[in-house]
Amino acid sequence: MYYLAAVITVALILFLPRIGLLARIKDYRAAKEREQMEDALKHLLDRENQGRHATPESIAGTLDIARDKVTRLIENIEAQGLIESRGNNLHLTAEGERWALHVLRAHRLWERYLADEARMPLNKIHGEAQRREHNFTEAQLNELDAALGHPIRDPHGDPIPSREGKMNRAEGMSITAWQADRPARIVHLEDEPALAYQQILAAGLRLGQDIRIIEKNPNRYILSDGESEFKLAPAVASNIFVSAIPESEMLKREAIPLTELAHDQRAQIVMLDDSVQGFTRRRFLDLGLTPGTTIFPELTNFFGEPRAYRVRGTSIALRNDQAAQIWVKPV
Amino acid sequence: METISPNDILAKAETLRNSLSTGFRDEIVKSIYSEAERVAHRAVKTASDKKYDLDQKIDRLVTSPWTGLPLMLVLLGIIIWLTVSGANVASEAIANLLFGLGDLGRNLFNQIGAPWWITGFIWDGVYLGLAWVISVMLPPMAIFFPAFTFLEDLGYLPRVAFNLDWLFKKAGAHGKQSLTMAMGFGCNAAGVVATRVIDSPRERLIAILTNNFVPCNGRFPTLIMLATVFVASAFPPALTSFIAAGTVVGVVLIGVAFTFFMSWLLSRTVLKGEASAFTLELPPYRKPNLGRILYTSIIDRTIFVLWRAMQTAAPAGAIIWILANIPYGDANLARAIADWLNPFGLILGLDGVILLAYIIAIPANEIVVPTMMMVYMGAGMMIDGPGTSAGIFDLLVNGNGWTMLTAVNLMLFALLHNPCATTIMTIYKETKSWKWATVSVVITLGLAFLVTFLTASVARLLGWA
Repeated sequence: MYYLAAVITVALILFLPRIGLLARIKDYRAAKEREQMEDALKHLLDRENQGRHATPESIAGTLDIARDKVTRLIENIEAQGLIESRGNNLHLTAEGERWALHVLRAHRLWERYLADEARMPLNKIHGEAQRREHNFTEAQLNELDAALGHPIRDPHGDPIPSREGKMNRAEGMSITAWQADRPARIVHLEDEPALAYQQILAAGLRLGQDIRIIEKNPNRYILSDGESEFKLAPAVASNIFVSAIPESEMLKREAIPLTELAHDQRAQIVMLDDSVQGFTRRRFLDLGLTPGTTIFPELTNFFGEPRAYRVRGTSIALRNDQAAQIWVKPV
Repeated sequence: METISPNDILAKAETLRNSLSTGFRDEIVKSIYSEAERVAHRAVKTASDKKYDLDQKIDRLVTSPWTGLPLMLVLLGIIIWLTVSGANVASEAIANLLFGLGDLGRNLFNQIGAPWWITGFIWDGVYLGLAWVISVMLPPMAIFFPAFTFLEDLGYLPRVAFNLDWLFKKAGAHGKQSLTMAMGFGCNAAGVVATRVIDSPRERLIAILTNNFVPCNGRFPTLIMLATVFVASAFPPALTSFIAAGTVVGVVLIGVAFTFFMSWLLSRTVLKGEASAFTLELPPYRKPNLGRILYTSIIDRTIFVLWRAMQTAAPAGAIIWILANIPYGDANLARAIADWLNPFGLILGLDGVILLAYIIAIPANEIVVPTMMMVYMGAGMMIDGPGTSAGIFDLLVNGNGWTMLTAVNLMLFALLHNPCATTIMTIYKETKSWKWATVSVVITLGLAFLVTFLTASVARLLGWA
């Protein structure tokens, strides 16, 4: 009698649909499998954006799983029509790319949320987003997107794919169309034709570099990043795409962080750092820390922080890591 | 004419949104502020900076290490002394009144011939529970909350947060936690609600989970009784209230130390993360508004907290009466449970009666002392105990085997043990999670057991007890 009861109980714990142990294990494994597949798709997308090809080895390396499991994983994804292999190289199909962009969007929106609203430190958000990016529906992501105010970039500055599945690529224009004396930032290097791309890389130019046109004539372009000069043929230079250096960075060059202001030294707020977004930025703005406002430190805690600043007739205490995000110009 | 549907507008907004620059929110706020500035400039005239200069001088005084820190301690001492010495007299008066009413009710029931157990249950159980809670809790709250609100209204409390923020930052917590701690002296449940001023969820949770380490008014009576009987009795009677208050301040400071330690531990384990977004407004000093102080402190705080305590005290009173009136062996059930708990209590340097009192007093800590007295004296209802501190000393030490270790450990246990039922419910309501409510109990109770066990073991090893 007791044995029967025990057997039934054990059987129920194991086999009960949905809440039984076996069902739980199955759910867990299904979720894990999907996570692995999504990570693989993301890896492929990443590789394609870099102009390289993904291989079974690169997947094994990035996802940190054994070779034989990778083979099974790839077969599985291929069977769903999300990737196709040509030789050793793997390519995303249209459907696969859509899915990969969906996961990437989830990842970057989550990063935005973790940085702005949960206010996690920047070096922690990637890992956390990596855990949270899976198993989201399109509608859920749209909601998250709207709640965050439709951000364009993640906290690392990478573009967030739009809901239509388009990458908001950094726009820019060819440097051959750029005004000669205006500082510019390289936002894109065209990788076709490959020969020109090789030459650009060989010259030592890279994405995100700030450059200026020193000389341009029908035969050659001379660019400078302030330290070294780069000489390129116009046909090659036309593959370099640039855009204006963000206004905030130009402003920052003439400003100091609020923490460096001496006691009672008056200053004007120039800007809030771009890295301050979401909750903290709203709080700063609510307190009246808007560009152009006069501010000065009036009280310092005996341990150096927080410091209280007088702004708009009120005294507001800030810790130093907060104050360092407010750029000011002494007056 | 073409009709425009709401969906068209939404679609249009969607396309326009993409053309907005990233800083458009900043621009909106900036324009609101400049418009407000324009209006203010036209309507407001500032006469002189005299007020500002005075504020500055006061600020320097209250935030300097040489005057600011001592001032904080002195104010804390004054408030606790006021509460300790002032509440004593009032408590007695209220107790006399309420117990007198209880006698009347009991007599009335006896006259109409009600069975003894109905009379006992209602008047010696439920009513007595209420009467105890009101007489013990109301006076200290009616002194503490106005004093707290006075400092709040004056503008002093944000300066305390300013002074202590560096410590909280080291612990990975928020500077405004000092405000919620101060509120916790009045009532931990109120302190937990007050954590709403902390806008970061992680730091708010830390403040909630550690609020219980500042003893609330309901726990003061236990501390005061111990301080009076075991510490102050060694001094001249004129100094009694100062010594008692001083001892309580000492216990409070131990509680503050535990708050920092626990905050530090939490922010490095379960609530990992860096200290984040801290903004604190230091308002100008204002002349306190007496009417507002009385209203906020009496109606919003005192009555509100008292009402909640009464709701839990009534059933607790009923249970205590039942335990004390069910015969078991040659005594009653309460005694039997206390005897059963005794070995465990002794390991912690306490005894079974103390543990029983704390279990029954989960709904309301105010009744710990009367419940202990009831069991020690074998009475059938909560009682006041011997009228003098010498009498209490005799009862506890000679009658029930207390030592100095018992007194010290009971103080520590009163400081660290689990939150009362109201606070646990409030933690659940504020966090919307049974998990965190449970964690708050586990942390505090675990720490209370650990600390008392350690002090008892050390004291026994060294031969002190």
